[in-house]
Amino acid sequence: MSALDLSRRSFLGAMTTGMTGVALSRLLATEVHAAPPRPPHFAPKAKQVLQIFCPGAASHVDLWDHKPMLEQYDGTPLPGAEQEVTFQGKNGTLMRPPWAFLPAGGSGKMISSMLPHMSRHVDDMAFIHSMVSRSNTHGPGCIGMNTCFTREGFPSAGSWVNYALGSLNDNLPTYVSIQDLRGEPPNGKANWSNGFLPAEYQAVSMSAQQPLRNLARPAGVSEMEDAATREFLQTMNAGFAGSHPGQDELSARLATYALAARMQLKAPEVSDLAREPEHVHALYGTQDPNALKAAYARNCLLARRFLEQGVRYVSLYCASRASAVDGLLNWDAHKTLKADYERHCPIFDQPTAALLSDLKQRGMLDNVLVLWCTEFGRMPTRQEGTSGRDHNPDAFTTWMMGAGVKGGVSHGATDEFGRRSVQDVATVYDFYATVLQLLGLNHEQLTYYHNGANRRLTDVHGHVLKALLA
Amino acid sequence: MNALLPIFLAVTAIVPAALPTKPSPEGLAFFEQKIRPLLVEHCYECHSTEAKKLKGNLLLDSKAGWQKGGDGGEPVIVPGNPQASQLLKSVRHEDPDTAMPPKKPKLPEAAIADLVAWVKMGAPDPRDGTQLEAKRADKSWWSLQPLAREFRHKDIDGFLEEKLAEKDLHFNGPAGARDLIRRMSYDLTGLPPSMEEVEAFAKAYAAEARPAVEALVDRLLDSPQYGEHWGRHWLDVVRFGESNGFERNFIINDLWPFRDYVIHSINEDKPFNRFMAEHLAGDILGKGNPAVEVGSAFLVAGPYDDVGNQDVVAQKNIRAATLDEIVTSTSSAFLGLTVNCARCHNHKFDPIPTEDYYRLRAAFEGVKHGRRVVATAQERADFETATKPLNAEKTRLVEEQSVLEKAVEVRSKAAALSQKTIRPKMDPNATEEHFPSEQVHFVKFVMHASTANAKSATNARLTEFEVWTAGAESRNVALASNGGRANGAQSVTAEDFPEAYGPQLCIDGKPGEQWAVGTPAELTITLARAERIDRIVFSNAKGKDVPDKSQGATPCEYEVRVSVDEIIWKTVASGVDRAPWSEAHGVERVRREVTTEEERAQLATLANRIAALQGKIDAVPKLREIWAGTYSQPKELTFVHKGGDPMKPGDSVVPASLSVLERVGKPFALPAEAPEGERRLALARWITSDDNPIASRVLANRLWHYHFGTGLVDTPGDFGFLGSRPSHPELLDFLATRLLFYGWRLKPLHREIMLSRAYLQSAAPREEAARVDKSARLLWRFPPRRLGAEEIRDTVLSAAGKLQLVPAGGLGFRLYKVLSNNVSTYVPLEQHGPETYRRAVYHQNARASVVDLLSDFDLPDTAFAAPKRANTSTPLQALTLLNHSFTLDMAAALATRIGSNNSVLTAYRIVFQRPPSPAEQGAAEAFIVSHGLPAFCRALLNASELVFLD
Repeated sequence: MSALDLSRRSFLGAMTTGMTGVALSRLLATEVHAAPPRPPHFAPKAKQVLQIFCPGAASHVDLWDHKPMLEQYDGTPLPGAEQEVTFQGKNGTLMRPPWAFLPAGGSGKMISSMLPHMSRHVDDMAFIHSMVSRSNTHGPGCIGMNTCFTREGFPSAGSWVNYALGSLNDNLPTYVSIQDLRGEPPNGKANWSNGFLPAEYQAVSMSAQQPLRNLARPAGVSEMEDAATREFLQTMNAGFAGSHPGQDELSARLATYALAARMQLKAPEVSDLAREPEHVHALYGTQDPNALKAAYARNCLLARRFLEQGVRYVSLYCASRASAVDGLLNWDAHKTLKADYERHCPIFDQPTAALLSDLKQRGMLDNVLVLWCTEFGRMPTRQEGTSGRDHNPDAFTTWMMGAGVKGGVSHGATDEFGRRSVQDVATVYDFYATVLQLLGLNHEQLTYYHNGANRRLTDVHGHVLKALLA
Repeated sequence: MNALLPIFLAVTAIVPAALPTKPSPEGLAFFEQKIRPLLVEHCYECHSTEAKKLKGNLLLDSKAGWQKGGDGGEPVIVPGNPQASQLLKSVRHEDPDTAMPPKKPKLPEAAIADLVAWVKMGAPDPRDGTQLEAKRADKSWWSLQPLAREFRHKDIDGFLEEKLAEKDLHFNGPAGARDLIRRMSYDLTGLPPSMEEVEAFAKAYAAEARPAVEALVDRLLDSPQYGEHWGRHWLDVVRFGESNGFERNFIINDLWPFRDYVIHSINEDKPFNRFMAEHLAGDILGKGNPAVEVGSAFLVAGPYDDVGNQDVVAQKNIRAATLDEIVTSTSSAFLGLTVNCARCHNHKFDPIPTEDYYRLRAAFEGVKHGRRVVATAQERADFETATKPLNAEKTRLVEEQSVLEKAVEVRSKAAALSQKTIRPKMDPNATEEHFPSEQVHFVKFVMHASTANAKSATNARLTEFEVWTAGAESRNVALASNGGRANGAQSVTAEDFPEAYGPQLCIDGKPGEQWAVGTPAELTITLARAERIDRIVFSNAKGKDVPDKSQGATPCEYEVRVSVDEIIWKTVASGVDRAPWSEAHGVERVRREVTTEEERAQLATLANRIAALQGKIDAVPKLREIWAGTYSQPKELTFVHKGGDPMKPGDSVVPASLSVLERVGKPFALPAEAPEGERRLALARWITSDDNPIASRVLANRLWHYHFGTGLVDTPGDFGFLGSRPSHPELLDFLATRLLFYGWRLKPLHREIMLSRAYLQSAAPREEAARVDKSARLLWRFPPRRLGAEEIRDTVLSAAGKLQLVPAGGLGFRLYKVLSNNVSTYVPLEQHGPETYRRAVYHQNARASVVDLLSDFDLPDTAFAAPKRANTSTPLQALTLLNHSFTLDMAAALATRIGSNNSVLTAYRIVFQRPPSPAEQGAAEAFIVSHGLPAFCRALLNASELVFLD
């Protein structure tokens, strides 16, 4: 028997006054769930969510929403909106996408030829071409897409889902937000904030390049010392909990230390991409000479590994915040759209498509709902004097695929130039009403009281987009 | 007496059905044949208990429904009188605003005639017996009533004991001395007592409990740490944060005077009515008195969107959102009302019409975020006296300078016309200069102008500067990787990231990052060794595929000089024979050429004298600027925004008191064009008037909330329908009247609360009581609690002997690094240096900046007021407290402080203010033997006993 065992026994003996051995061992049991799974409102189609976010306002008319009229009327004014002033200023004439659109999949859906890998998945995707945003500014737009509110302080969808459904695992976080190598998206941490929901529903922010904060055993503390310290601590804290019967926070605290210890073992294992075979790395492109693409590919692979282990909600960013140079670090192509997107599309295309193929082939799309988002769209016109496009909150495209989603659907439409959503106009509230529906949740019933209101993810709006449901 | 009665009626708000009066058989038949089908078909969709969304709070599926009426509060049918019946006015479309059914054709005339006939016959309606549960509050709502002035008990305990007795409960016995002094110390100062303080108090308490407790309360209330701790509470209430949030989230370095003002005001026990009024109108109340003026920084201490937007509609929406933030914060902090819920429509649950929202907005219409000078009249006068003669002299010299420059310019314009250039314009993406080869050790690039400024190259950008050796296998010897070093001033710095924008970026061999050229606009390259060179290349391209639009200005007038010793320089190349970037550049180039030596000397002398004067002007201490907002007379009237849409103006409103409170207090209404400051002053006076029952109730409840962990109303920022009802309504009014009695001073009220038996009782659990009231809302025991985020950090520092109580105030410390570049990014520090060992209230809390320990333990991100903090247990707390270097540093410091003699006893005394039990002593000693004192200390700093309080 080691010294530790001895000390623990005598310690236990001393501190169990008024407590049965059974009660104490229950306190010390490591199976305690910190965030037990909670039942949905009705039978869910999806259990997990993968959200892929391309910050900077990825252009609908150049990627997903084919507008032949733009090619035909390239260089002529947008009828009725000559010299319109939008976010950065005046607009010029209509501008055709720099690349051709090609038919893809069995449906022949027209997709930009800049996305050859992604276009292979169109038969599984349900596009929403008629999205509108409440903001024309990146920061508010991004958090609008993530929280349904354009001001900060509200919980992100991932935190709402965490609050509603709890954890599916007992050794990893429930909600992981994976950041791009280039940095955080506009408005940064507010995008995965738990807002006014308690901190237990927060996201853990990390990436293949940036491990979870404070996870690693501190340098200079040996494994044995670390284990002994935690054991000593748990015993001490169990004694304190034992002397405070009925104070549930104390046993919860014991459970969180046990969960932290399990995370310490599990998270590095999940993050260890070297465990993946060579052909998987090749599929994602993790060894690509383009360092930004390789980094994003590793994040895609990391996302799959987290989902595989039962992480409830993974958000994955492709690109980052606005920089002094528009369109350099993200999809914000104000002035040089062709050059910007020839940089961004190759980073995004293969790794994302590989992630989707991998999820599909492993049968994970039976449980995982995939969302692709951006904060708003871009103008069909060129920004005056440039070959880029200004912000367009009146029209953009998002899509869903996977669990519960009908493939090959294109819901809603913009006008003939892609300037405005006109048919079956969809809001971010509708988007998340649909997401919650797929997760077995009624978006009007998922509420949390805060500063005078029973808040909802979908505010006081939202209709389920039934056309998207399988 | 019974002040309780109306309150209870309002709380349950049951509207009894009318007394059953039997309708006549004919009347009944008429109702069933004509009226019921009509109501079901046309009205029930929106006006029945089955309605998906009940409109206007009006039910028409029962007699009680139309008798009670909707939001109007009047019956919508007056039996026998069709003219007076609102329902009939509505179906007849007499007023377009109330026309029914909405957005549908008018009812057929026959149907309307039936309704009229029915009302004339006395509106016989058999549908009685239905009880209506109130779905919202009206003006009889409890929190909107005047304060009760007579009470059935004369002290706090009386009210509590009455409620306890109703449940067969009673208070615990008195708490033990250690528990009590720990409880009281944390409660008033946020810090633990020392072991010595515990022992001294225990002795006095054992001798005579009451005087010992009184002395302790008085000592703690007098401690400067009291204001720091209770100031921190108040900062939560007023959503104080030191960055603007939103996309750019830039840090604000001059808002801390407001934090210090809060702490000082609370320490000096400033009457809270004055304190709150200063929040709204300190600049008016204390004009010329910075200590008071700073109060109005409250208005601009919240987040706001400052991203420029060219879109006019977006601009209006952003302004509306900015004012909304101020309205929201004001109404929740001082009134406990969610007036903001009435922005788009009348409040759904409280009797707050949308006009009330815009009345409040009208008071703030002239407020803008920003900084302004806050100084005394004397300071302003002194500043004027000191700077006026200097400025006058400077003006004279500048005039002299411009006369001279003008003369030169006339000559240079003439010369420019005959200027000849042979080489093409400089190319920002890459410009090469060849010259006869030279053996050199130093290369200097002197820049005279940039593409954006014909007179100076300062602020230009440069991506790369290359120096190539002569001959075959030419090498770029400027490259850092080849041993080159770059020196030069930079004009931009990114806060906390000195490496950004530096000249070394020109020799890193990578496009992308740029040097921001400073003054003097010179780049000096020191080669690793002397080399024979014949070519330089400079470029401002940010990457091969990024053309020049976004790269900023490029140097375009330049000379290349070389030297072997850095003393004698030789110019080997220049841009003078290139086509000038613009006509203005050509003129400037010639100006450099036509200026005589004498003129050059004169100009240099003048420039020096002007610079010297400027130096003196700059040396005069600036008047202090504070982020306290700017105020200007609104140019437009305030309108109701229909549906909350600023593009849909409705009726105009004037700055006025809220109609929701018109039954209490003295209302005010100012003319539409009332001066800006008067609006806020009138509002401040109205809110803080003794007649306004809600401000004192809300404040008294906040005190209770922080003392006991749960308020009598456990939604301290919301006293409306969705908020919780008071557990002890009469006690709440009692406390509010005590607050008024004490002249709005908090300290005597703290004292009264803390000397109650309820407060002084033990926290010991009792099973039979817990079965009835688990959370001890009725206070059968003192509710134990976990420490807050700041208390935990302060406690760890204090245990380690590292807590610095001074400086108490001033610019805050940071647990993050800021990268500011168009937007700000906050990167948490891995290592917390001794400069951070201050109380957490002095942390510069930027919004959306994760700071490990503080955020993990529920420090609110102040996007909103946080009248009540969350209290969670998460694995991230465990990871941070176990593994962050801060814990390791503190564990080491604690180990040093403890020393090797009697380690365990000393440790327990310091950390828990008690001796260990023999078993604890034995276990700890065994652990220390195996793993050492620092490991033991690391465990102690993670102990539940450290962060939980009885």
